[in-house]
Amino acid sequence: MNYIIILIVSAVAQYFLPWWVIAPIAFAIGAWKSETALGAYAAAAGAIATLWVGYATFLNSANEGIMVEKIGGLFSENIKFLKNLPVTPTFFTIMTIIGSQVAGLSATAGYHFRQLFK
Amino acid sequence: MKFVKFIISLLAAAGLTYVLNRPLGAVPALGRLFSPFEGFWQNGESKLDLPPTDLQLEGVQNEVNVVFDDNRVPHVFAKNDHDVYFTQGYLMARDRLWQMEFYTLAASGRLAEVVGERALELDRYSRRMGMADAAKKVYENGKTNKIFDEVLNAYSAGVNTYIKQLRYKNLPVEYKIIGYQPEEWSPYKTILMMMNMRNVLNGGSDDFRMSNALSKYGMEVMKDLFPNYPSNESPIIPVGTKWNFTPVPVPAPPAQISAPMSVSESVAFDIPQHSPEIGSNNWAVGGEKSATGLPILANDPHLQLTLPSIWYQMQLCTPTMNVYGACLPGAPGVVIGFNKDVAWGVTNVGSDVMDFYQIKFKDNTKKEYWYNGAWKPTTMRIEEFVVKGRPEALKDTVYSTHHGPIVYNAASDKNFNQNVPVGHAMRWVAHEKEGTDLMAFYYLNRAKNYDDYRKALTYYVAPAQNFVFASNQNDISITPNGKLPLKWKEQGKFIMDGSNPAHDWQGWIPVEQNPTVKNPPRGFVSSANQFSADPTYPYYLGWRFAPSERAIRINERLEKMQKATVDSLRMLQNDNFNVEARRILPVLMKILNADSSETKNPAYQTLAKWNMKNDANEVGATIFERWVKELRYTVFEDEFPMTNLKTPMVYPSRNRMWDMVVKEPTAKWFDNVSTKNKQETLQDVVKQSFKASIDSLTMKLGPMNAETWAWNKVKSTDINHLGRLPGFGRQDIPNGGGAGIVNATTELNGPSWRMVVQLDKGWPKAYGLYPGGQSGNPASPFYDNMIDKWAKGELNELLFMKSKDEKSSRISGTVKISKK
Repeated sequence: MNYIIILIVSAVAQYFLPWWVIAPIAFAIGAWKSETALGAYAAAAGAIATLWVGYATFLNSANEGIMVEKIGGLFSENIKFLKNLPVTPTFFTIMTIIGSQVAGLSATAGYHFRQLFK
Repeated sequence: MKFVKFIISLLAAAGLTYVLNRPLGAVPALGRLFSPFEGFWQNGESKLDLPPTDLQLEGVQNEVNVVFDDNRVPHVFAKNDHDVYFTQGYLMARDRLWQMEFYTLAASGRLAEVVGERALELDRYSRRMGMADAAKKVYENGKTNKIFDEVLNAYSAGVNTYIKQLRYKNLPVEYKIIGYQPEEWSPYKTILMMMNMRNVLNGGSDDFRMSNALSKYGMEVMKDLFPNYPSNESPIIPVGTKWNFTPVPVPAPPAQISAPMSVSESVAFDIPQHSPEIGSNNWAVGGEKSATGLPILANDPHLQLTLPSIWYQMQLCTPTMNVYGACLPGAPGVVIGFNKDVAWGVTNVGSDVMDFYQIKFKDNTKKEYWYNGAWKPTTMRIEEFVVKGRPEALKDTVYSTHHGPIVYNAASDKNFNQNVPVGHAMRWVAHEKEGTDLMAFYYLNRAKNYDDYRKALTYYVAPAQNFVFASNQNDISITPNGKLPLKWKEQGKFIMDGSNPAHDWQGWIPVEQNPTVKNPPRGFVSSANQFSADPTYPYYLGWRFAPSERAIRINERLEKMQKATVDSLRMLQNDNFNVEARRILPVLMKILNADSSETKNPAYQTLAKWNMKNDANEVGATIFERWVKELRYTVFEDEFPMTNLKTPMVYPSRNRMWDMVVKEPTAKWFDNVSTKNKQETLQDVVKQSFKASIDSLTMKLGPMNAETWAWNKVKSTDINHLGRLPGFGRQDIPNGGGAGIVNATTELNGPSWRMVVQLDKGWPKAYGLYPGGQSGNPASPFYDNMIDKWAKGELNELLFMKSKDEKSSRISGTVKISKK
């Protein structure tokens, strides 16, 4: 349930607000409804991972992957080990880690906040 | 315990979010950059990416219709001037905003604000050059012209309307990667963009290198090796053309034409060399030479090739104008193009318009300098540099004399600790505030005939250009045009004496006395940056223009051409014949084959069989180009070191060297002065340099082979991203050409726009393209879609519409802009 709520709320919110709005949303949902710390983390991380990967896949396929190739070329000039990795999967992975960790950790913090009052 | 858990998890979550939302050094804020809702994913474009079909904008006065063709070129149909320039600004910003702003940041010395420390030296240099200051004055002075002011303001308003409705997620991706936001546009910024062109085209000097050579070898040697007019010239104004004017008096050269130099006063500032390879070609054939009986005009300006491209194609139509052509991102109007009746194009005039004066200061405060037998006060300007990543702004004091700003680099600042400090002031045409260059284009865009062309040119100041012209009344003409300083002979060939009033610029050549020719008997006009006129022209323009080879080739081909068509002119634009090889290769080969062992060398045999064309697959071109370079180095680097950091000099021209090889084979310059007890002859240096060329090519490319030694592999043209972002450019483009070749494609420079226009009594037919694409977005299919065709030397037929309702299968979308 939390997974669905975070997914929907943050999808709408990110249309209007900066990307980091996923942190307070995950925090709030984590504080409001979570049963366990791990549950809070998993729901939020999973929701943002799904949302970001889904939306990025849509944008990427509409552009036939040109943008991610260019950004990949740019980064791998500066960070050498990226040169040996396939660009698209690598950049999806980096994106997923960023989004899911911010959301997951925020939801966990929200859960622990709630525990202070129990 | 609960509290500890909360604090730890909160710190982890907040800390990570914070870190990902901030730039770290050169790395932009990663959270924002990677978020699909805001970051680079949002810049992925699909197909055409046109504005919505019904667009409401604040700032338009009437309905504007924009038709996009299949190459994504906007054709703007407006009811008045304001709306057409407003829409031009809006659409250019939509496609090229980052690029437009980048030029203005570069010209005004503000790059360090966005990229940090690494641009600081460049910024210091730009500020010393005083381009921002000059741009302000040009606008202040120009806005008294009502039309000029209105055009610039309408354009600006269009750009700003676009900027205002931008959100982070729609920013051009370069802003996201580098991490900054666009600023408001203004007419001043348009002038800055034009300053950028003045700098690129007129911003080089050999004066201090020449002075170094002068102080070592004396005037006789300089006159011999650095003549004021080359032996092989084919000037722009055909030899024999009458000068239909009474020249104004030109002051006689003073007894001393250069500053008194001594070794301790030698200068080492970072002024880039005069760069003739940034040249261009243009020509027009008259009706008697064309298949249609009416003129055909061609132009290809050579500039450093970048992505996004320096040009942007547009058609601009109002009830009083209908023009098509190449526009500069950041500036209103069409710079090179055509309308129903006329076509025009430009190439750079290589006249000497940047001079240096040695200045004697009274003391270290630099408040006064010696001039005309008295101390004269300097003016002072403090420049502030905001540098990304630095808490405080840096300051730099720039002093100016009546000549212009004192320019020197950090290393030579030490000179100022001496008792009588010496500086160098710059006199540069780019500082001229008079005139309104853009008005020349404004009137050319509306020109109907030769008289309109001549009138339009009077508005133009700098960088001086060879304006070629053709009309459907069967007139052709060419005019090296701009504000040209009135100089005594050889004025500014060396660093001049800033205390001597006779060394000041002596006014200007009257604009109507700039060299010009209309309908010459030979039936064509042309330019390739060579000398504007032969020495019968009553004014001195400079001692060094671009080498003559391109001009020689263009003129000999046009001379022979009959029944010329668009295609014959297109093929001339792509001509790869090496005129220099025709002149000198047989001579050099004769020297080599005096030794029979050389003739067995496969490199020799390849050269012997070479067709003297710098075609993409020719190995001969690779060897010849390398050899000439090596030979010049061998002959002159010992006496005129270009690479010596303390007292750099300049080599005599290639033409002067070939004269020496043919006519003065025993000249002392062939001896290498750094080999003691040995006297090298011409034969020695030719053989040595040939061997060195083959050795260095073999070292780099492996043993000779048609594949790896092919000219296009060795030359390897790259079109890099304007901001040098790796992965955003296109490398190793397969094509031929070279510096002295009509198809002047080198490693980084080349034809930045190729255009051929066939005039017609009814409706002209025009062709053109540039090595890039209309969109500035690296993810757009229209970012670099014209490059492959360009490399092959093909042209696109340009869609020049009669009205917004014209039907064409090439139309891919329409947009109606109305008042909000």
